[in-house]
Amino acid sequence: MRGLTALLMMSLASPVVAQTVVVSGEPEAVSLTVYRGQKYGNAPIDPNWPTGYALVTETRTVTIPAGESVVRFEGVAEGMFPESAIVTGLPRGVKEKNRDARLLSPLGLVDAYLKREVKITRTSKATGIARTYDAIITSAPGGAVILQTGEGYEALHCTGLPERMGFDKLPANLSVKPTLSVITQSDTPTTAKLTLTYMAAGFDWQANYIAQVHERGPDGKSKVDMFAWLTLANGGNQSFVNANTMAIAGEPNRVARAVQARPTGGGLQLKCWPQQRTHQVPLRGNYPYPPPPPPPPYTAPPVYMEADAEAIMVTGARMRAEKSMSPVAVVVAEQENLGDLKLYRIPEAVTVNAKGQKQVAMLVKPGAAFDQLYTANIEDHAGDESNDSFPMTTLFRSENRAEKGLGLPMPQGQVMVFENSRYGPLLAGQTNLKDRAVGDELEMAIGQASDVRYRVTKISETRERQRFRVQVTNARNSPADVEIEIPFELRGSSKGVTKIDGVPTWKTTVAGNGEAVLFYEVKLERN
Amino acid sequence: MRRFLLVGLGGVMAVPLLAHTAPTSVAIPGEATAQGDIAVTIYQNGQSLVQDTRRMNLPGGRSKQEFPDVSAQIRAETVTLTGPGIGIVEQNFDYDLLTPAKLMEKAVGQTITLLRTNVATGAETRVRAKVLAANGGVVLQIGDTIEVLRDDGLPVRVIFDKVPPNLRARPTLSVTLESKGGMTPTTLTYLTPGLGWTSDYVTLFDDAKQTIDVQGWVTLTNNTGTDYTNADVLLVAGNTNQSGGRRSFQMPYNPSTGTIDEAGTESNDRERLGDYYLYPLSERTTISNAQQKQVSFLDVKAAPARSTYEFNNGWLATNEAASAASVLKFSTSRGGGLGDQLPSGTMRVYMRDKRGDPQFIGESRIEATPMGSAMSIRTGEAFDVKVKSIVEERTRLSSSRWKTRMRYEITNARNNAITVDLGQNGLWGDVRITEQSQEGKRISADRVEWNVPVPANGKATLTATFDSRY
Repeated sequence: MRGLTALLMMSLASPVVAQTVVVSGEPEAVSLTVYRGQKYGNAPIDPNWPTGYALVTETRTVTIPAGESVVRFEGVAEGMFPESAIVTGLPRGVKEKNRDARLLSPLGLVDAYLKREVKITRTSKATGIARTYDAIITSAPGGAVILQTGEGYEALHCTGLPERMGFDKLPANLSVKPTLSVITQSDTPTTAKLTLTYMAAGFDWQANYIAQVHERGPDGKSKVDMFAWLTLANGGNQSFVNANTMAIAGEPNRVARAVQARPTGGGLQLKCWPQQRTHQVPLRGNYPYPPPPPPPPYTAPPVYMEADAEAIMVTGARMRAEKSMSPVAVVVAEQENLGDLKLYRIPEAVTVNAKGQKQVAMLVKPGAAFDQLYTANIEDHAGDESNDSFPMTTLFRSENRAEKGLGLPMPQGQVMVFENSRYGPLLAGQTNLKDRAVGDELEMAIGQASDVRYRVTKISETRERQRFRVQVTNARNSPADVEIEIPFELRGSSKGVTKIDGVPTWKTTVAGNGEAVLFYEVKLERN
Repeated sequence: MRRFLLVGLGGVMAVPLLAHTAPTSVAIPGEATAQGDIAVTIYQNGQSLVQDTRRMNLPGGRSKQEFPDVSAQIRAETVTLTGPGIGIVEQNFDYDLLTPAKLMEKAVGQTITLLRTNVATGAETRVRAKVLAANGGVVLQIGDTIEVLRDDGLPVRVIFDKVPPNLRARPTLSVTLESKGGMTPTTLTYLTPGLGWTSDYVTLFDDAKQTIDVQGWVTLTNNTGTDYTNADVLLVAGNTNQSGGRRSFQMPYNPSTGTIDEAGTESNDRERLGDYYLYPLSERTTISNAQQKQVSFLDVKAAPARSTYEFNNGWLATNEAASAASVLKFSTSRGGGLGDQLPSGTMRVYMRDKRGDPQFIGESRIEATPMGSAMSIRTGEAFDVKVKSIVEERTRLSSSRWKTRMRYEITNARNNAITVDLGQNGLWGDVRITEQSQEGKRISADRVEWNVPVPANGKATLTATFDSRY
């Protein structure tokens, strides 16, 4: 039985019924389900401030005496939402759940010892002799401790002498940390196996895709190895050892939390009359202290690849060409449906460390079929009258279907696209993917193609219409599939222009080292 | 036994605190309280009514009684003290607090003792000094010289002979009263902010059986700075109106939560106070400061529920495929529902995974809900159910009329057939629907709703043509 069950008789603030305090130190088994947080603009997880949350389920064994007892849970995640705690497995259920946040701290001690006797020890800096006096704290409002000694009234730490307070006993009701406890009853002494379930802040996860493009086919068809990491982060100070770990994709609804009990306690902020120089102390010291400066932002140490670079020089390109960017995964998270959400379960128990990030493979789909095409939207450079040509966007498109070599739910995340070259796989671009259900269209825009360009020229304009020419030039020696969106109401019909999702789109294939031209007319609505 | 203990303490603590010069020794600090038999009524708008019945040993005639261990955030203007044979002369709430600066300010013109320590030898010298002024720095007269306190930065103890009489360690409530004397039960009543409650519902949804188990917990939060020991607690569901007061709170901004589809009309025998429902706690309890406390009040097993989907489109525009909301529908009626009123709070919904472990699938705020209501809780966005809205055609019919043809594509990647409640908002009053592929329901001038069935692993398309002014 690993659950520490220290039994101490302790009369709490409500000494009506003698309650036995049972301390449950650490769980025997824990499972952790991590939910995604809101990340602004597809930013990666902030390891210091993960914005998601987790559902933690712990199994604990406690020995409960007959009568009423208080079971205190220690070693829970400090981001716990106490209002979400569920305790099951007690013989007669839970009478009350409490979470106490009066912390054992300098302020908490002074507060509890108001009008009580403490010891003051003063040490002479010259001789090292310490003398201890009895004193009574007569005041402890926020910013001061005023002591009544045998000689009169004095203020603590206003003397410039080394002095410290000593307290006889620990005050009741002060906790080391905000602590959850339940009050329960039992007819007989029992050993109970409890389940404690709660939600906690300070976790996050996301998918990190690696898409490796094999040789681009001359027909625009490509094979892409899709791989994804399940990246999860624990920003708290509590590790989860051998945890059954899961992650949930989808967007569960969340609401703002109700008013919380604010932890009390903290350091003593003493305000005195002038100590060193007159001008250092404000006339009235009642202004709030400015908050401490925020910790410096986390910056990843730069990764120097010098050794690797040297290896290329020495061993030549062949070595690198054999490397693949898709890792070989032995453990892959298993996906199951949870209502309208997707649950990913890491099949083995893993340890999620405090202040740690962990990655496990969650999707391995080699050889997915993608179409490569070049896209633009006429409005991308709206207002540019220069008649310049612009590069088009290289896009990989597929459908999330088994026929295409995919057909799995794909949670949102960042995508790193690599392409094979003579020198091995090189980074071709980075993009983001939103949640993609099975059957959804997948598009990865990876960069701009300076060889495939388009130019829009206004040829004529009247009161009712504007006439334009679009010219696409292809400097590659292979044909390019091109799609240009023209988000206007067009007059008449232009060859090759169809409506896709309501937007007139010109689809064509431009021959290698060739060009293509389209004319279109925009209707003007003038009142 | 306990009552006896309290009587004793009440007697001791009723003596004015500043008269204490001898140290009091109590075994464990934080244990004793001067409170008597205490009853707390907590409302949901951050106000609470505290009734504290203390047995006090009063002297005959006029006396000033201090009341320690009242809420640190007490609304002093709401205090009432009653008891047999008691007449109130005046009530005072003093909050001039004892700080080093105050102590020094009040010592202006008086003589204090300075105890200087020689940093080299440790020898102490004692001088008497007169405080001339305390404005930013302290100006002293020592013998014939004028000095500024601690301008040399050397250690010096400042010892005051006495503490000014009306400086206090804590804000203190005192009542001057006339009494016949003797042991008297007195009842102190006041309002305080800082105590509040809300409800938290744990809902376990069984998808296969389409049922829910619901447990309701009241969650009390105490930020008053004071413990309420062994209190008789009554919770009032509903917001009382409030105006004025030293700490005046506006009625909280209470937007609709959209969780009541159809307000119920059933009632039960739960105790009421006017239009509010009362939830008394069955046993006395101690509400500590900085504590959150939860007590169960509702436990319903296997009430029928069903899951469905909902999607709202704002205005006639082309939008990328977006997830529909997952909605859980159930009733609070006596027959076939939760069979109770639900005080406002947060409902968290869980569901079992393949291994049978409950997992969180979303939460929603609910407002105070009458019994017999039809409810719908939006738990989140469905990964597999998406709606794409497309403007297929937009033509001008005349100078003041436009025709907009919309297509809505609903995709379902789940392996069961579903129905999506698709709503189109922003129709103002005068938008007419000239054609639709499926009969819709014009809920209001502004909104039309279609119930669109979507096959398993399939797709459904709905088209509608709107005739509008813009």
